[in-house]
Amino acid sequence: MDLIFSLIINGLATGMLIFLLASGLTLIFGLMHVLNFAHGGLFVWGAYAGVFSYAYSGSFIVGIIVAILTGLVFGFITEKLIITPVYGNLVQQILITLGFMLVLQEMIKVVFGPNVVAVKVPELLAGSWQLGDIIIIKYRIFIIFFGFIIFGLFHYMLTRTKIGLVVRAGVMNSEMVQALGINIKRIFLVVFMTGSALAALAGVLFAPYSGAIYAELGMEFAIMAFIVVVIGGMGSFQGSLFAAILVGLAGSFMAYYVPYLSLAVNMIIMVVVLIFRPQGLFTTAKG
Amino acid sequence: MNKPILLSRSNIFLFIIVLALIAFPFVMDSRTLTILVTQILIFGILAMSYDILLGYTGIVSFGHAMFFGIGAYCTAIMLNDFESTIFVFIGSIAVGMVIAGILSFIVGLLTLRLKSHFFAMLTMAISGLLLVVAEKWRSVTKGNDGFTFKAPEVFKDRIVFYLVVLALIVIVFIVLKRFVNSPLGRVLIAVRENEQRTKSLGFKTLYYKVIASVLAGVIASLAGSLYAVSLRFVNTAVLTMEITLDALLMTIIGGVGTLIGPLVGAVVIESAQHYLSGLARDFPIFERWIIFFGIIYILAVIFFPKGIVGTIQAKYFQWKDKKAQLNVVPLSKNKESSK
Repeated sequence: MDLIFSLIINGLATGMLIFLLASGLTLIFGLMHVLNFAHGGLFVWGAYAGVFSYAYSGSFIVGIIVAILTGLVFGFITEKLIITPVYGNLVQQILITLGFMLVLQEMIKVVFGPNVVAVKVPELLAGSWQLGDIIIIKYRIFIIFFGFIIFGLFHYMLTRTKIGLVVRAGVMNSEMVQALGINIKRIFLVVFMTGSALAALAGVLFAPYSGAIYAELGMEFAIMAFIVVVIGGMGSFQGSLFAAILVGLAGSFMAYYVPYLSLAVNMIIMVVVLIFRPQGLFTTAKG
Repeated sequence: MNKPILLSRSNIFLFIIVLALIAFPFVMDSRTLTILVTQILIFGILAMSYDILLGYTGIVSFGHAMFFGIGAYCTAIMLNDFESTIFVFIGSIAVGMVIAGILSFIVGLLTLRLKSHFFAMLTMAISGLLLVVAEKWRSVTKGNDGFTFKAPEVFKDRIVFYLVVLALIVIVFIVLKRFVNSPLGRVLIAVRENEQRTKSLGFKTLYYKVIASVLAGVIASLAGSLYAVSLRFVNTAVLTMEITLDALLMTIIGGVGTLIGPLVGAVVIESAQHYLSGLARDFPIFERWIIFFGIIYILAVIFFPKGIVGTIQAKYFQWKDKKAQLNVVPLSKNKESSK
């Protein structure tokens, strides 16, 4: 029982991190039909910027804020410099965002050095609680709560506010929204920056969780996020939460019970979804 | 106009280049240079196979390295486990090609039904998975440390190997050229230009796209086999994203959809890599030369989407059109005056 409990907590925590990354990806895709291969780069930049400012200032909150700011700034730069020039050309978008990912990843090595950076869990969140036989690591609970808060916040914004309404309408039919006199370009920019900030936030939260960060991390996590987006359905915010938790739980259970399958399990889920429901489990976006 | 196609100006030009390449190792007696040119030719094969996907069919694959890696590992493992003879080498190439063909068939059938961004993403994920499998499956692949093996006796002489690679690249080039000019190749170009329309003309586009991806995978596996022999060493680096990116950069910078372009791209990228990493000793920034490539690549995608060869070709056709128009103008004037 205690084993299953800690596996669930493990899976949920990993799932939440993937969700933060995938939700930005899925919204950007749903609204703009841009698949951002540079998303993993923003994740690592968030992690490095956050960790270095955390180490410098000694406060994890400062680290989180710096990571979010980094995400916003990089999102702005990416949208203006990389996405806008090739807007509407699918193949070029794929090629160019991958190229930018490459530049981001190498820039990490130039700015922060090529070595693996060790990260400590902030004091307040370090250690664990013990409930009977069950040991609960505090930081994992923190990540799960944080993830749900972010989900709740964005869910509220998407369903209850005006900008959320516009975003949802844009996902359904962006030409129509534009025809009604709303500057959809500005909405794109806002969504892109928000998505990037979420990726950067995932990065900085991930750093103490794994204890070490390195530049290639972005690519590894981006692949996980892609899998989640495919399973959850492109453009579906709820779908990405569901799929991320599914992938996280499947990963943590498989890693314990059938270790050699743990790598393949996400692929297997994805292949099954693709065969029976190629549009993903939840879909709101067209195409 | 009615000149035999075999003797067209561009073919004669290519023929001269091949002759020069055959003569090259005998004239320039430099081991490093021979090895560099061999490397360029091997990556040329890889880049050409990528061009079939990106340039002719218009699908972006981020998993091309997996076929390259399969070829490399097949050859390395077979040469290591069996005798290191030329027959085993040929057999290992065949085995690699078959495995790559089967894998690309399955992957293609599964993912090519989807839109292009799904395909890009899924190929990336599958090849990422294959890389992890290779890293974990240490009993066979020796993981990231890799292993060395003996190349067949004949290839001890670098020049012999160079000539074999040269012969293979010529064969691959002719085969691919025939392929893209065949009716089947024309359908692929139609898919690139407008898939919906090709579908409504009655072509099963999935079927054609799978053929393209199998062909590209098989050729990439050949390049991988040659690469492993040229290094006499193999590790999981042959499966990494870097290989795919190399092929991608060569194709984009050289010119998509030209076949010659990727070869030019291979020359540019490989020699730049060679000399820039040489510069790194004096200027540490060149250790991160990939940044320069990334930036050049981004600029190329935005401003220079046709690449080197594509741009030259476009300029040439423009010039030809102009010349043709100049010739036509007096004729039409005559017509008008006769009216």
